[in-house]
Amino acid sequence: MNDRTVNGRMVNDRIIFEDVSKFYGEILGVNRVNLSIPPGITSLVGPNGSGKTTLMNLMTGLVKPTRGRIQVLDYKIDDPENLFRVLGYSTQFDAFPKGLTGFQFVYSYLRLSGRDSRSAERLAWRAIERVNLVEAAKRKVAGYSKGMRQRIRLAQALSHDPKVLVLDEPLNGLDPLARSEMIALFRSTAAAGCYVIISSHILHEVDVISDQVILLSNGYVVAEGQIQNVRSEIQEHPTQILIRCSRPRELAAKMFEYEHTIEVSIHKDERGLLLKTRDADRFYLALNELAVNGIEIESIAPADDDVLSVYEYLIGNEEAVR
Amino acid sequence: MKPMMKRIWWEQIKAVVRLEMKKTFFAKRGLWIYVVAALPVMLFIAFAMATSHQQAGRASIARQSERPLNHQDLLAVKPGMTNQEVISVLGKPPVSFQWTENRPAETEKAPSIEVLHEDYHYSDGQNDLFVDLVGGKVEQINIQQGNNLGQDSVMFAGVFQFFFLRLAVFFGCLGIFMNLFRGEILDRSLHFYFLAPIRREVLMAGKFLAGLLATCTIFVTSEILQTVAFLWHFSPSGRDLYLYHNHGLEHAAIYVGVTLLACVGYGAFFLVAGMLFRNPIIPAAAILIWEGINPFLPTVLKQFSVIYYLKSLCPVAIPTPPGMPPLMALLISTSDPVAAPIAVLGILVVALAALYVSSLQVRRMEINYTTE
Repeated sequence: MNDRTVNGRMVNDRIIFEDVSKFYGEILGVNRVNLSIPPGITSLVGPNGSGKTTLMNLMTGLVKPTRGRIQVLDYKIDDPENLFRVLGYSTQFDAFPKGLTGFQFVYSYLRLSGRDSRSAERLAWRAIERVNLVEAAKRKVAGYSKGMRQRIRLAQALSHDPKVLVLDEPLNGLDPLARSEMIALFRSTAAAGCYVIISSHILHEVDVISDQVILLSNGYVVAEGQIQNVRSEIQEHPTQILIRCSRPRELAAKMFEYEHTIEVSIHKDERGLLLKTRDADRFYLALNELAVNGIEIESIAPADDDVLSVYEYLIGNEEAVR
Repeated sequence: MKPMMKRIWWEQIKAVVRLEMKKTFFAKRGLWIYVVAALPVMLFIAFAMATSHQQAGRASIARQSERPLNHQDLLAVKPGMTNQEVISVLGKPPVSFQWTENRPAETEKAPSIEVLHEDYHYSDGQNDLFVDLVGGKVEQINIQQGNNLGQDSVMFAGVFQFFFLRLAVFFGCLGIFMNLFRGEILDRSLHFYFLAPIRREVLMAGKFLAGLLATCTIFVTSEILQTVAFLWHFSPSGRDLYLYHNHGLEHAAIYVGVTLLACVGYGAFFLVAGMLFRNPIIPAAAILIWEGINPFLPTVLKQFSVIYYLKSLCPVAIPTPPGMPPLMALLISTSDPVAAPIAVLGILVVALAALYVSSLQVRRMEINYTTE
């Protein structure tokens, strides 16, 4: 389903993992991973050691799978010469070639691609501008703060306009302003039809930017897809819905008449209620009827279809990361 | 292979070389390589200074002689001649020293005998003659020959083969080539290269070329400086004679060529060793032993070493000193030497084989710093 025909040639427009496992000796990295990643922002979510970085290193050929097959669009991971023309990877490795300035770091990377000096210089400055590091570009990377190092790595990954951008904990070390700038950058890149793969262990961070998530635990993929879809598939946990309305107590009483309602609590300001239901679809039908019969509904919002809640439901409180 | 592809690979190799040059030439952990390369130069400078000092002393003594002497004059003095005969042949000695020895009498009652000892020192400006006279007669003569190009070129060959090739170039290549990949793994910066759109084999070729440029520059410079220092104390006419009429220039060029080939051979060995081993001491010791036992190996195995071909190419054979134990003699002899074209080809084949193994290994390499 991932292949399409362009000019009579079959092309793959997904990042594919087929039954991929990676073991470091006897230590499990990831096991039996099957993924098909579409364009947009995809977040790899999981605590430290869950396999996020391994998955990214596998995707970029820095480590080889013990078993299985990986394909990034039309490229195999053992073909760096072509793979990295469409892929940029900002790693978590915090070491740089010695003695380079920020500009030289990005420029050298572009020269390694075989670009001439003029083109490499132009692209390097453009990438450095995109991450707001122009003023520090002529300083040695060794003297950079953690956030600046993060940004120069991002500039390197972005410098050749890759179709696939793989970013390992890209918001680490950034101040709030820089975070919002970077998030805007990821969104604009994804909006241009690119694949942006982000790893994070900060769930509320990825919640706001991800088109889809891949939840990892102990080397296994425990769920993947759009977060709302993932949430709706978790039947054993009731859906929580926050309703703002004019007469919350009256609405609560009416709702208890339905068998799918489990629990209702009135908000302190008496202007809303939190309801738990085991069937969200039937709840919404019932609410429509009640609204027609005079209860004024201001807003309805799911209260637990964020990444944190889903992760807690799937992995358990003790492993969920905050 | 498309010409466009070849052009990109060449651009990429140049980019790798540019990045590597600074590291290979100016790395703090590589400073000892300069010291090792400079040691034989220092040795020849010290030798040149000592020889020049000796020559100045000889010239001064020659000037003080009553008449100019030549080597034949010095050889004319024979044991048993009287001091007057010596003076009549060579003139009054420019430097002399005498002392009296009290020899005990043959019988206890007889008085002791006084014996006059005289030492004469002559020089023709190149060679020294020391004449020891006892009781007015020549008892012993000692002619010390001045700098002799034949002997000195054998000494140069000995230093080149046993110190420069086997130790300086060997360990210098170890220090530079083993660190091309291993050093970056230790610094945790190898991923920078692995994330670029570059074939791993092209990356390896670029790194090898960078190492080769560094080692060739350092050791060829050292070799040229050694030759300059070696020739320093000769007179201009002596230098011309050696360089243009005694194969000196040809030998100097061959030594430079052998140095370049040594860098290629050892460089390729240590490049692959740096990928296969975490600890450089193990492959260094293994290769050093392998190269060391080369003379004792069967001919088939000899061909898998670098020193076997390098020794065959060296222009001056080192003679085996008389009385040397057979094992030692075997070590310094060029046993089963091969013709120069075969030796050059042999080194290149050995190097290419090592580079082929490196290319297989570099494709398999993973970034997993935590296990290093």
